[in-house]
Amino acid sequence: MTQATNSAATDAGDSAQAAGRGPEASDKREWEALWEESRRIRGVSLWQDARRRLSRSFTARWSLRLLVAIVAVTVVTPLLPLQSPVKQDLKRRQFQPPNLRPVRLELPAAPSASPAGSAADPLETLWNRPSGLTRGMIRARLAVFGDWCVPSICGTDSLGRDVLSRILWGARVSLVVGIVASCVSLMIGVSYGAVAGYVGGWVDELMMRLVDILYSIPFIFVVIFLMTILGEPSLKKALFAYGIDQMVIFYLVIGALYWLTMARVVRGQVLSLRNEQFIEAARTIGAGTGRIVFRHIVPNVLSVVIVYLTLTIPSVMLFEAFLSFLGLGVSPPDVSLGLLINEGLQVITPVKTFSWLVVFPGLALTLTLFALNFLGDGLRDALDPRMKNR
Amino acid sequence: MTQPVLEVRDLRVVFDTDDGTVRAVDGLSFALERGETLGIVGESGSGKSVTSLAVMGLIPRPAGRIVSGAIQYGGEDLLAASPRRLREIRGRRIAMIFQDPMTALNPFLSVGEQLAEMTRLHLKHSARQARDHAVAMLEQVGIPGAARRVDDYPHQFSGGMRQRVMIAMALSCDPEILIADEPTTALDVTIQAQILELLKQLRRDRGMSIILITHDLGVVANACQRVLVMYGGRIVEQAAAGPLFEQPRHPYTEGLLRSIPRWDGESTQLLRAIDGQPPNMAHPPSGCAFHPRCPYQLPRCKVETPGLTPRDAAGGGFKACFVDVASGAVAAASGAVASGAVASGAAASGAAAATAAAKQ
Amino acid sequence: MSPFKFLAKRLLFAGLTLWLVYTVTFFMMRAVPGGPFASEKNLPAAVKRNIEARYQLDQPWYRQYATHLGRTLKGDLGPSYKLEDYTVNEVIAQGFPVSASLGIFALVCALAVGMTAGVVSAVARHTPWDYGFMALATVGIAVPNFVLASLAVIAFVFMLNLFPAAGWGSLRQLILPALCLAAPFAGYIARLTRTGMLEVLGLDYIRTAHAKGLAPRYVVMRHALRGAILPVVSYLGPATAGILSGSLVLERMFAIPGMGSHFIEAATQRDYTLAMGMVLVYSVLLLFMNTLVDISYAILDPRVKIG
Repeated sequence: MTQATNSAATDAGDSAQAAGRGPEASDKREWEALWEESRRIRGVSLWQDARRRLSRSFTARWSLRLLVAIVAVTVVTPLLPLQSPVKQDLKRRQFQPPNLRPVRLELPAAPSASPAGSAADPLETLWNRPSGLTRGMIRARLAVFGDWCVPSICGTDSLGRDVLSRILWGARVSLVVGIVASCVSLMIGVSYGAVAGYVGGWVDELMMRLVDILYSIPFIFVVIFLMTILGEPSLKKALFAYGIDQMVIFYLVIGALYWLTMARVVRGQVLSLRNEQFIEAARTIGAGTGRIVFRHIVPNVLSVVIVYLTLTIPSVMLFEAFLSFLGLGVSPPDVSLGLLINEGLQVITPVKTFSWLVVFPGLALTLTLFALNFLGDGLRDALDPRMKNR
Repeated sequence: MTQPVLEVRDLRVVFDTDDGTVRAVDGLSFALERGETLGIVGESGSGKSVTSLAVMGLIPRPAGRIVSGAIQYGGEDLLAASPRRLREIRGRRIAMIFQDPMTALNPFLSVGEQLAEMTRLHLKHSARQARDHAVAMLEQVGIPGAARRVDDYPHQFSGGMRQRVMIAMALSCDPEILIADEPTTALDVTIQAQILELLKQLRRDRGMSIILITHDLGVVANACQRVLVMYGGRIVEQAAAGPLFEQPRHPYTEGLLRSIPRWDGESTQLLRAIDGQPPNMAHPPSGCAFHPRCPYQLPRCKVETPGLTPRDAAGGGFKACFVDVASGAVAAASGAVASGAVASGAAASGAAAATAAAKQ
Repeated sequence: MSPFKFLAKRLLFAGLTLWLVYTVTFFMMRAVPGGPFASEKNLPAAVKRNIEARYQLDQPWYRQYATHLGRTLKGDLGPSYKLEDYTVNEVIAQGFPVSASLGIFALVCALAVGMTAGVVSAVARHTPWDYGFMALATVGIAVPNFVLASLAVIAFVFMLNLFPAAGWGSLRQLILPALCLAAPFAGYIARLTRTGMLEVLGLDYIRTAHAKGLAPRYVVMRHALRGAILPVVSYLGPATAGILSGSLVLERMFAIPGMGSHFIEAATQRDYTLAMGMVLVYSVLLLFMNTLVDISYAILDPRVKIG
């Protein structure tokens, strides 16, 4: 853009000089002054501006920090000296309230001697079928910390399992479900919306009508119906033979459910950008198609996509928790936050409430959703150019 | 001369923004005589709209604050009046019409309801009376089929018709003072003329005083007796309309006059914009706010802020400038640019004065 | 567009949506191995008889589809797959009034509390009232309703003994689940109202209203409120959907014999016909609410033409 303006200014200057008469000479001076002035004006890019505003918003700032902390902890969970998330102890450790009593992992006598995958392998008995990288991380943890572990500071559950450890392993599952399913929905939504917006015409009309129809379907009920059918034991076995377990079904079903808003937003953005004046303006100063797409269209669409991605993740996580809570989502031995809360609620009786079983997982879920929602809101406000300088 | 209906003394209004505190109006004083139309002219950001909002007591809080000054109306200071008293005056004694009739009317209420609520409040009309009055007012401002259209919603009217509705609303309690903030800016040229004509006629019929805020010198020449030119929150020149157009005494006024395109001017003559940008009032220039753009700039302009001094020996009007723009004192200014500018400026202002005279 | 034409168009759209839902669920149900259409199943004799009479298992699939669609259109959703001697219609007829009273009570609570809080926050911006309400609203939105309900049960039922733990029939039994159901929506409505109100209060026509000398309270209630609650009205569609799904959890937690409990029961027990019938009923409810919302939007805003 700079290039273009520069040459225009020079052109005007040249022609003025060619004419070589008084008034034009002063014209040239004016052109130069104007050029000088325009050069001094510094544009603030959308991203710089967004970052400035995001960092100015208290809630967005703290949400981001909290989120980074949560993600960091859940990523390194296998490395942390936690108790086993699955090891039951009905005799001694049932319903312990939060405490600081020292606990040790009950490792078999010689872990290295037993072949991997056998019943005696601690990775199989003390953890829930870890795979690949996670195995390696647990081995590293065993090497560093040995059998030492953090006491049950969040108490233990009805089967004597450590709540803190279950929360962290459950949060991993919840986050992974949220992120993967959101990415599935992102891919569907962005391609659908971009095609509709770019092609336009009756194709766009048809595609958006379909979205309208899907919007008015109470999807949660349809999904529950679908999960019911996919949960039919014989069907489950058949699918498992293809390597499709419940988690994969989960990703696909939720991803297929949450793309509607994304599709609408992306389509609207693409459609409006196609007719936007600044695109015209970019064309008139000779910007090529590539430059227009990468410099003008992609950043504008990207910002909405990022915003809706951060807003989709918590709603997907909430939906997962909701289904797991109802016993229709993640099923044992997998853990997720919704499932933990449900387990906690199941054992409440009028005689005795084990509040820590509900409070800690509930807190973990709430904080995560909270941070994600506020970060999404903050990002939306920050990236919305209409909010500029507000 | 009689007592002025409205007198503003040393008004200072500031706004707190992200960039710091903006001095929107900085020591403004003027008086509005009974039955006159006073034009306030200036670029956007010169403080003219803020002045009108201050008179109405409508400075948006908490961003805006009136720091000092007095607004004298009928023996009381509006800045010291209670909110209740202010509400009694607003709409009843001092009414206002706004720039954009598209957004200034409530889209959710019918035109009749919006007119009626005013007379019901101020004149204690019954529902019936208020409605009849609304129809009468709409007729007066020239809306055809007023009795039928009174139940229509604003979006069913065209822009010009909406501005007529706004005027009907402002005048429905027969106020003494009407503040019109850019009443014609958002309208088509032909509609502009109609609305101005309507305002002039209403002023004559009712003996109202009007403050007409605009950036359009054509509107001022057409409708105002007296003109106040504002720049950077201050008055830079004030005079009766005729002399001002004939012989501007402030470089800014002169620049404004020069920048009007003229169909009867010499075709070789360049249309001259005022160089530079309007001042950033969060960080105003030192001394005279206009000095960075002024062709007559003197060294002292950077340091000292000129006060208001009489425009000329004949009296009548004030200006805030160290340089005598009209006389040969131009020599004090520097360079060929300035002299060239003055020459063309004089030509333009002469032509402007001719039209101003013709219109009166 | 005339209101009549609008309704006709809406009806057509609703019909299309319902047909889509119906067809998808029908074929899903047909495909499931242990479902009503499968040959091998262990069912009580009475249910088996009903199922066979209903679905004409000896017929080809298109004939089954057609007959079943015809009966569904007449409002007959068929026999329950797991509950002996019950039809889906009977189960829904039992559950619907219960769920409706819970849902409507919750929605009214959410609207009343949310809008009041939103208006107060906007008008008293940057005061302790504003911060207090908005903090509460934030908590209401962020805490999932089943977490909130679990905590409420622990606190109010087991620790303070203020409310009965579960059941249905008295007002005392309604309050806790309805409030838990309403909380997130009240929070959201409060935020929407506040944002809408602040936006409207900054508009030119509000300045005009002040310039007319109207009292601030009057300006807010008569000039600003209508524009401010338009976003709330559009939100009522999604809110209804949310309350319907939220009632699944709360009815289950509080052992309320409404549609939600039956639906979850149907889903976990694999009562396919009941679940399918309920999905249809929920779709109808949602479509009805959305139409209602569009109509009220047009009534509130004279600029909006229905259709």
